[in-house]
Parts: sequence; structure tokens; C-alpha cells
Amino acid sequence: MEQKDRLFKQIFDSNSKKIFHLCYGYTGDTDAANDLLQETFLKVWQNLDKFRNKSLISTWIYRIAVNTCLTYLRSEKRQAKDELTDNIIENKVEEFSEKNEQVALLYKCISKLEENDRLIITMVLDELPYHEIADISGISEGNLRVKIHRIKQKLTELYNQYASV
Amino acid sequence: MQAFDQIQELWQKHEVEVKVSADEMLQQAKKEVNGLKLKSALNILGMLASFMAIAALWIFFHFESWTTHVGISIIIIVIAVYTLILYRDYRLISKNDFTVHPHEYLNNLKTYQLNRYKLYNSLYWFYVIALSLGLIFYFVEILAYFTSIQKVLAIGLTFLWILFCSTILRKAVMKREKERIALLIEKFERIIGQISTPE
Repeated sequence: MEQKDRLFKQIFDSNSKKIFHLCYGYTGDTDAANDLLQETFLKVWQNLDKFRNKSLISTWIYRIAVNTCLTYLRSEKRQAKDELTDNIIENKVEEFSEKNEQVALLYKCISKLEENDRLIITMVLDELPYHEIADISGISEGNLRVKIHRIKQKLTELYNQYASV
Repeated sequence: MQAFDQIQELWQKHEVEVKVSADEMLQQAKKEVNGLKLKSALNILGMLASFMAIAALWIFFHFESWTTHVGISIIIIVIAVYTLILYRDYRLISKNDFTVHPHEYLNNLKTYQLNRYKLYNSLYWFYVIALSLGLIFYFVEILAYFTSIQKVLAIGLTFLWILFCSTILRKAVMKREKERIALLIEKFERIIGQISTPE
């Protein structure tokens, strides 16, 4: 048990920031991102014994996080909250404006993307190799490249559109 | 005009701070479950305290009428049975840790939810009826020492207290607990539903 604890702590320390970033990019809300981070690592803890090193541990955790994010907002109760995401982000924009307007704008633009696209672009922004993103999202690498190209364009367009307002 | 590379740079420069440590994270998950356990344990302690208070009354006071002994016996038995039921439910949620045996824990939590529902409904009415019967027997001798006003006050206040507990209080407790357990079940189901996904 102690060994599992130690291993878990190591895994948490080396992956939590990226996973939090992913969750934050997906929800645009710190509290929701924290909830998602907690759920993700709870699943990691429960399944640690089952992890067989078939893939990188970080890939495995990303996959859990992506599933957690998708399920979290899709569940009935979160739908109502999801509708509020825009409002939350709008508020955050005001909150951030003095500190970092550009970052807030970026989160707002990410929130305008489709759910799956949001997660994919977050991984792209974090520079995850394409084969890993393909593995996590269950899309073939060929299709993924096309999809990523499209999402990048859409995000850039959105960003420039909002920045010019 | 910004290009995607600049947007990426912006993203990477934005430092996020994870405010929770691995320990705190696991503790936090256990805390919600512990809250439920604590409430259940306090419930049992309260019942034990009532049991002891009534037992002390029986031991240290001298009652002459057989009705008082019957009354106290009924009350004590009812409290003991109710406490045992509460203890059985407490064991259900305390013998497993969600972070270790998630499926078993979730099943137990669902049984707990069902048991609590019975406890606040059918079982509760048995409890109230038996308790009232015990009190009626108890009052036969005790009220004889009281003046008329005291009698009215004793019967009236006891009746109002039982009425309050079985209506407003029972419904409020039931509603709060139902929501709390349902939220925990919903959360754990969501987590368990994805356990087979990784790997």
C-alpha cells in the first residue's frame, strides 16, 4: 500500500499540472477543473494496479482525463452548468482583464469549440505528440491531422475575431 | 492578426497552479464519505445516550406501579432495536473504502440509501407508535404526582414534540440525507462507469 501511495504521489506530481490545464481549458472554470482533476486522479488511483505499461502513463492519464471531462459535462446534472460555462467565462474575462486579457480571451475561444475539439486542441497546445493524441482520442492519425488542422484554423479565426472587437 | 503559433505560446506561458496535493486529493475524496459516516455515528451515539439516560432513570428512581416498568421497558427496547438498526447501516458504509473497493462500496451505499428510506418511513412509524405506547404506560404513575396544569403541559409538550419529530424534522432530515447520498452515488457511478475505459 505504501508503495502504491508513493507511486501515486510521483504520478500526481508529474502529471497534475498538465491535466489541470486540460480540464481548465475544457471548462474555463477553476472549481470545475479542480473537480475534474480530482475525479481523474481518483480513477488513476483505483486503476493503478491494472496499468500494464502498454502505453505511456501520461497517455493513460490523459485518456482518463478526456473521458472524465466528456462524461462530466454530459451527465444530466452538469448540462445546466454547461449552459452557464459561457457566463462563467464571460465573468472570468472581466476578472482577468487587468491581468491577462489575452489568456482569458483564449479560454473563451476554446470554449466556443465543440467538446471533442476542445480537448484535442488542448492537447495540441500542450504539444502532445500526434500519435499520442490519436491514441487518447481514438481517432486514426491521418484523420486526426486533418481535424487538428481544421481546429487550429477555427481557433485562430475565433481568436482574431474576438481580439479585434 | 495572431497566428496559431502565437496562440500556442500564449497558452504555454499561462502558468496554472494546482492547489491540491496528492494527499489532499485522496483525503478530499474520502472526506465526503467520512461526513456521511460521522453523521451516522453521531446518530448512534445520540441513541445510546438516550438509552443510558432512561436506564439510569429506571435504576436510580423507585417506581411503584407496574405500568411505569412496562412503559420504560418498551421505550428501552425500542431505542435498543432502533440503535441496532442504525449500527447495521453504519457498518454498511464503514466497512469498505471507496478508493479501495469502489464497486462493493457503491453497492453498499445503495443498500444504505434504501435502508435509510425504510428507517424514515415504515420503521419510523413503528418506532413512534411503540415509543408513544411506552410513554402512555410511563405517564400513568408519573402524572399522578402532577397538578392539573403540569399534566396538561407534560402531555401537550410530549405530543407536540413527537408530532414535530415525525413531520417537519423527519421530512427535513430525510430530504437532506436523500440528496446527500444521491449526490455521492451519482458521483461514484460516474467514476465507476469509466473504470473499464482506461488501459
